[in-house]
This record gives sequence, C-alpha cells and structure tokens, in this order.
Amino acid sequence: MCPGAVVLERDLGFETTDFEQVVVAIENLVPKVEVVEPGLVFVPIQGALRYYGGERPLVERMFDRLTEWPGGRLGVAHGPFAARRAAALATEAPVCVDDDVAFLAGLTVDVLPDDDLVATFRWLGIGTLGELSQLPREALASRFGEPGLVVHRLASGEDRMVAPRGVPEDISVEQFYEEPLQLLDQAGFAARALAGRLIVALDEYGAAPYRVEVSVWAADGTKRVRVWRSADPFTEHGLAERVWWQLRAWIETAGVSGGIVRLRLQPADLSDAGRQLSLEEDTVTRLEAVRALHRAQALVGPDAVLQAQAQGGRRPSEQVGWFRWGEEASIPQRNPKAPWPGRVPSPTPVLVPPDPQSIEVEWDGGIPARVRLRSRWETVTTWAGPWSLVGRWWEGEETVERYQIVTSATALLCEVRDGIAFVVGIYD
Amino acid sequence: MDETATARTAMQPGGTSWDLRAEPGRTIGLLGTAGGGLTRLGLSLLVDLSRRAPVAVVDVRGWISPIAAFEVGIYPEHLVFVRSRERLQWPQVVAALLEGLQAVYAEVPVGIPDAHLRRLAALARSRGGALLLRPLDGRLPSGVSHLSLQSEEVKWNGADAGHGCLRRRHLQMRAWGKGMGGIERLIEVEEDGENPLRVVAGMVAPTAGRATG
Repeated sequence: MCPGAVVLERDLGFETTDFEQVVVAIENLVPKVEVVEPGLVFVPIQGALRYYGGERPLVERMFDRLTEWPGGRLGVAHGPFAARRAAALATEAPVCVDDDVAFLAGLTVDVLPDDDLVATFRWLGIGTLGELSQLPREALASRFGEPGLVVHRLASGEDRMVAPRGVPEDISVEQFYEEPLQLLDQAGFAARALAGRLIVALDEYGAAPYRVEVSVWAADGTKRVRVWRSADPFTEHGLAERVWWQLRAWIETAGVSGGIVRLRLQPADLSDAGRQLSLEEDTVTRLEAVRALHRAQALVGPDAVLQAQAQGGRRPSEQVGWFRWGEEASIPQRNPKAPWPGRVPSPTPVLVPPDPQSIEVEWDGGIPARVRLRSRWETVTTWAGPWSLVGRWWEGEETVERYQIVTSATALLCEVRDGIAFVVGIYD
Repeated sequence: MDETATARTAMQPGGTSWDLRAEPGRTIGLLGTAGGGLTRLGLSLLVDLSRRAPVAVVDVRGWISPIAAFEVGIYPEHLVFVRSRERLQWPQVVAALLEGLQAVYAEVPVGIPDAHLRRLAALARSRGGALLLRPLDGRLPSGVSHLSLQSEEVKWNGADAGHGCLRRRHLQMRAWGKGMGGIERLIEVEEDGENPLRVVAGMVAPTAGRATG
C-alpha cells in the first residue's frame, strides 16, 4: 500500500510535443512523413530512393539519425502493417522486408489488432498469418463481417488504402484568423471546429479519411505541413485530437512564430466505410446536433460544453468526471466499480453545489429539529444519519457526519463539520 | 403492458390521450422552488429522447448532477451539459441548441425577459424540439408552456428518525395547459431512483380556472 502515490494520466499532447523533434529529424531526410501517434511514424520512401541512391543508403542514414534517441527502431516494407511488424523486430538494426507476404506469413495471429478475433482464430487452430491468408476471403467476410475482411487483408499484405469512389479530390476545409492564434486553448478550439467541418463535409459523400494533411501558415509567412494517419477511419473526436496535438507541438516548439494565421485540413486515403450509426440514430439528426453543439461551444467556450462519466467516490461531488464535449473521456481517477463503503446510497441528490453551502440547523439533543431555508425555519419531519465519513486523516482531512434531512419543502444531504452544517446535495 | 404504461393508460381522460413526457415542438414549464422535486422529474422526461440522439442540459449554476441524470435513465454518451450563467447570453445559447438538438432542458436564470422565453418556445415549435424550462425563480410568463407542472408536495420514504435512508418519493404536482386538454389536474408520480418514473394517480384538481397556455 502506498497512500502517497499519485497516478499521472498519460498526456498524448505532451508526448506529441516531445516527439516533434524526432519527426522533424526524419522529415529533413524524407518529406511528408505520416504520424500515427507519438512514437510511431510511417515514411513513404519511394520518391526518395533515387535521391539517396537506393534503399540501403537511405535506411542507413535514417537509422543514424534515430540513434540520437534511445529505443528508436526502423522497419522497411511495402505496406505499413508489415513495416510496423518489421520495426517491432528491429531491436539492434533496421529490418528490411523484401517480400511482405512471406514475411507476414511467419508471424503469429497475435499481432493482429483485434483481440477477440485473435482468440477465435486460436480456438479454431489458426496460429499464423500465413494460415489465415490461405483461407477464402469470402468465408472470413461471411463469418466475421468487416473485421474479418480487414484482418485477412492485413495478413495478405494488402493494407494500402485507396479512395473507392468519386469524392472530389479538392475537398478540404480551411480557416483564416485575423488575430494569429498563439494560445493553446485557441488552437484547441480551432482544431475541433475545423475537424468537425471536415468530417461533416466528407459525411455528405459517405466517406471518412484514413489520412489527413494538417497545414498551417504562421504570421511570419512560413508554412508547416504534417500528415496524420489512422488504422481506422478518423472519427471527429479522433481527428480533432490529433490536429490539436500537432498544433500544440508546433506552438510549444516555436514552429509557428507569430502565431497561426491560417489552418487547413485536407483528407487523403478516403474510405467509404464511414461511421456506423447506432440503432435508431439517423445521420441528419447527428449532424444537426453536432452543429448545434459547436455553435453553443462558440458562444460559451469549450470549457462550458461538457460531458460526464461516473467515477468512484463517497461524496456526490466526487462521483463525476467531466470532460469537454468533443474530446475523449479520460480514465476515471477513482474506479467506479470499487465498493466505496460509506458512499451515499441511491437516489443521488440531483443538485450538488460545487462548494458546500452553509445552512443553519437547530439541534435538539443531537437530533436535527429545524433548518433555516432562506428566511424561514422549516421543521424537520424525518432524517437519516449520522453517517460518519472518515477522510484521509494523514493528509489532514476531517471526519464529517452526514445526514439526510427531510422537511415539508425539500430533502437535503448535509455534512456537519466542527458543529457547522453544510448542504452538499439537494434532492430536487 | 408494463406498470408505467398501465398507469398512463389509466390517466387518459375521456378518450383524450395525454401523457407525461417531453414531446417534439412542445415546451414544458417546471415551476416551483428548488427542492420541490421537479429537476429530477424534468431529467426523467428526457430519457426516451436521449436514446436516439444527444440531449442538452443548460445548467446555470453548475449544480445539476449527471449521476442523477444517469440514474433516471438518460444515456451518458448522449447527455451534454452546457454551462451558461450570463443572462444576456443565455437566450442565444438555448436557441443555438434548439436549432439542432431534439431536446433541451434549461434552467432559466432570474431576469430573462418574457419576450425571449416566448421566442424560444416558438423556436422549439418551429424546429420540432422539446424544450423543458426550469425557472430558478419558480415562475414563467403565460403563453410559453404547452404544459405547466407545479410541485405541490413531495413525500420521501425510507428514512425514519435516523434509521434507513431516502429510498422512494411521491411527488404531487398540479398540471395545466394545452397539454392537459385545458383541464387542471393533480398528478402524483412515484420514483425510487432505480426504476422508471411511475405515474400513480391523475385526478381533476379541485380548483379550476388557472389560465392555460
């Protein structure tokens, strides 16, 4: 047990900023690298081979640059999935794959991204990607649907994405800013707004992007471009997050001096898979809702449009984890499934003041007799408690007594500390 | 037929169908002071609509608990809270939400001009959105609500002289407006925090003559 331990949440934005120097180093060798997440980039080297005189000199040069950072790995293959698996094996030196299909055939199915399917394949006696790729694709599609099709393509070394239908190639969204964006909050808001516009625009064609090029123009005229890619089509949340990480990385590493005056998102590698709507949900309703919430966000700011998730805690105020609408929920600080002995039983007070509100209570032999609501005194008709709540005494938290107090007008959840009563919840 | 449906059917007066739920294009006024039990009731009315698409709660003070909203059955991934404390901005925020969302529950700050509230009710009608208004001063101007609900009495069960804890409540409300077919009624609902809202009685109120609207 370590009561003083502090659990830090993973900050992918910070990691992106930290990783930016690696990306810039690679970009100086080969332009248009595709960032997947902090720590993982794909580099299309086809066009650079002639410039560097072949694959070997380029790979050696790139590996030299990577040795500046401990743990750097380099894999070369025709497709991104094979390249990533090759990099995973490249602990000492770069691993170059000549034949993707032969290389992948020897790998176990554990490298596939779908754990449920992996377990099923194992149960069916399919142990390697080679065995999987030998199965008829139609059979996998029929038995497992779209996920089965995707893993068969991966196992067969066919993971290059193509635009399947006539979506206009010039579809892109951009925004000019009269006042250059220099603050992280401004950039975050701009990222969310523009990502939302792009996804909505593509939705009209039933498409979603696998790769998005993020371009910014700085106030001093310089332009920065970075491509982000995803194994699955970007959702609005996912895209907004990645654009925000990238803008943050550029701002914090002084990559856009004077601030951002123009931002553009351009999709590539479109998919017609789109996003699966839930039962009863229709596209128009969802798009209109997204637009309305964006407008509300523009009016009150991103910190005032929120969603919530339940988390553990004994007090009603502790049991809520807030996150901005449009962003991914973070991992709950307190496990909501833990027992939390001493927590207030359901129903939860529907009104929970952020700060406890003091209230006058008249006691009669330790029993609450009357409470003052605004200007008048109300007789307590019944009550429950006291329930002691022992806090973290080693951090100086006091023990409080909690009561549910019922009057003819209302029911309250009160805490009593050092003889002073506070309302911490109203059963409205 | 479940218990709720039975209760609702029993409430249909003279073959005219009316029900206690938020409806597209309708405004419901939840009147009475804090503690009267109408915030939880208002959230309960959003449950059906939250199954299909996002619904918004405009929280003026930042006091409304999402945990209580989840308890009554609102889908967590479809519930969005908008904090809007500024009196001048509040009508714009609610209007923006009504433009695209199918249901908005809004606390009304003190001092919002009546004309703004009427415009919002008209916007809800034209956009087909459900609007639930919970004025913090407990009153709404006439002509805004299709259905007005005013808390009359709330009784809690479960706690007894220090023992037990609050478990179930009976909320008695006065209901009037076009949504009641022009008849003022007393409605009693029962709720235990885990099961859906249950209407247990609906009778014509002894005093009539309140303006509908």
